Amino acid sequence: MKRLLIAAVVAAFLPAGAQAQTAQDLAKGAGDTKNVLNYGMGYNLQRYSPLTQINKETVKRLEPVWNYSYDDNRSEESQPLVYNGVLYVTTNSATMAVDAKTGHQLWKTKVDYPPETPRIVCCGIINRGAALYDGKVFRTTLDANVVALDAKTGKEVWKQNAIDFKTGYSMTVAPLVADGVVITGISGAEFGTRLFIDGWDAATGKHLWRTYTVPAPGEAGSDTWPGDTWQHGGGSTWITGSFDPELHTVYWGIGNPGPFNAAVRKGDNLYTDSVLALDPKTGKVKWHFQFSPNDPFDYDSVAEMVLADIKVNGKPTKVVMDANRNGFFYVIDRTTGKLLAANNYVKVNWAKGIDLKTGRPIDTDVIVKARAGEKVELWPSILGGKNWEPIAFDPHRGVAYANTLNFGMPYKAIPAEYKAGDWYVGMDLTQGWIWPKTADGKDGPRGYLKAIDPMTGKAKWEAPSDMPRFSGVLATAGGVVFSGQLTGEFEAFDADTGHKLWHFQTGSGVEGQPVTWEQDGVQYVAVSTGIGGVYSLFSGDERLKGIPAGGSLWVFAVRK
Amino acid sequence: MTHHRELAALGLMLALAAGSSVVAAEQSQQSAGISADLAQVQRGKGLYADHCSHCHGFNMVSAGNVTFDLRTFPRNQRERFFNSVTNGRDNRMPPWGDVLTQDEIGDLWAYICTGGK
Repeated sequence: MKRLLIAAVVAAFLPAGAQAQTAQDLAKGAGDTKNVLNYGMGYNLQRYSPLTQINKETVKRLEPVWNYSYDDNRSEESQPLVYNGVLYVTTNSATMAVDAKTGHQLWKTKVDYPPETPRIVCCGIINRGAALYDGKVFRTTLDANVVALDAKTGKEVWKQNAIDFKTGYSMTVAPLVADGVVITGISGAEFGTRLFIDGWDAATGKHLWRTYTVPAPGEAGSDTWPGDTWQHGGGSTWITGSFDPELHTVYWGIGNPGPFNAAVRKGDNLYTDSVLALDPKTGKVKWHFQFSPNDPFDYDSVAEMVLADIKVNGKPTKVVMDANRNGFFYVIDRTTGKLLAANNYVKVNWAKGIDLKTGRPIDTDVIVKARAGEKVELWPSILGGKNWEPIAFDPHRGVAYANTLNFGMPYKAIPAEYKAGDWYVGMDLTQGWIWPKTADGKDGPRGYLKAIDPMTGKAKWEAPSDMPRFSGVLATAGGVVFSGQLTGEFEAFDADTGHKLWHFQTGSGVEGQPVTWEQDGVQYVAVSTGIGGVYSLFSGDERLKGIPAGGSLWVFAVRK
Repeated sequence: MTHHRELAALGLMLALAAGSSVVAAEQSQQSAGISADLAQVQRGKGLYADHCSHCHGFNMVSAGNVTFDLRTFPRNQRERFFNSVTNGRDNRMPPWGDVLTQDEIGDLWAYICTGGK
């Protein structure tokens, strides 16, 4: 009887065990070619695959295997996850599980949010993806909820509200599961909010910790905020952090201060425009590094903090890398927070460079005048040298592939008055942009896919585009780099030369994050398509008129 | 001058005359309320920047593929505009009736009618 009971207990746990993604699985995600278990294709966010079936020769025969409609016409910036032959994908309006081979939907769980929600979303109706752990799919919702679904059925296991969304809080971020804790960030720095990072218990949803990115009076860093300005100080956290399981440290980028008008919050305004090194179990800050103190330019530093082990002055070094929105490419020692290199990777006119000793920018007249309320010509624009779209890092070539932006803007700060739920930016939004011109006065490329040396910021090659690319980048050992255009082309480039090898028209603008994996001897590539992000809303680029909205998921493989 | 050219020149003169008389008539009709209208447009422009521009584009300039290009909103459908702004539309446009007063939506309408120019 006892034996029978034990057998029954074991049997009951086996299917769950087969479904579970353990902490060990997630830690090995970057090398797992059969699955895509992490946002960023690994805790290091390198978006690099060792797979080689798709290479410089075979990529010409890349063909669509299937297409899956999202039944959604918002911006599709979500990264698919893959586990045991099932794709897990999200939109703002649903979470879906799809059979990786056939494209058949296994389940779909809709997200309902109040119709008022889009009022407090600054830059597109978006969700960037899910996290997998222990048989569950975790995601966030636009109205600031964190949800756990059963990976097998899509049924809700738990749902927690992070904060009342109405005064300006929204969630688009893909959660990170680190040391068993579900970690989420939040958006809303344009609405006079004070933002944070949360830790949740994966099994129950119990709230474990909250780390504010803007300190309250008396806390470390609070002397960098005059008066009550901390209350509306922003510091959003809307892109998933990276995680070093050996150091038990999460690296999370922090967004812009609020309002943009820097004169009302004289001081460094910690921890806005910084990277925080956090303990995932407690949310405690181990160290911080600030990129843009007292930032007037929305140089939001949320974007991916990529981890790599590279040689610095001949010495193997654990680093965190960031192609920052302020136009400089930073390499930082991730064990100490010490700055190792910072060089511009796009045109920059607000700083002469970065002081390697202090880590602080060396200001030019442009930022001094902008803080004083004068109108200036700013490069890069408030959309940055690179916006949210994640880079890929090839650890063997030592090259970072980034979709960079090539435009400036006239910038002028204006008074800002806080009113709950309203925009709180303090910047003249009627000034437009400064688009690049060629030597003969024609329209120049507004973006480049660049192959950047992280230590110098210099490009080995650059692939221009009329409209900037706003998709994620994927690098592979096959020597092929994938990216996408707002005009709909999903593209493949030679990793060594930047020569375009292949493209496919996906039917809407590509803002997704491509991933690749291998199943039954076939290497697949998947990407979401669907226009509606920040450039399409704010650029006024009327050439996009003929690019229809409409979200879907494409999967490709090489024709035999 | 050939016959054709004479006709073309006459047509052009008539067109110019007709155009200028229409403009003159509109100006005289509007002159009384022009300063009030301008103030309303300015208020509407400010409300637009704070509440609408992050979906419909700075200065109303938009490709119209993701959100409605408000420069093309029919000027004779004031009621439709008030209804869409107040109640939302198609589960895409959020409702603003609890945030904006009807007077403020009127200010927005005055700005929309300028086409952003």
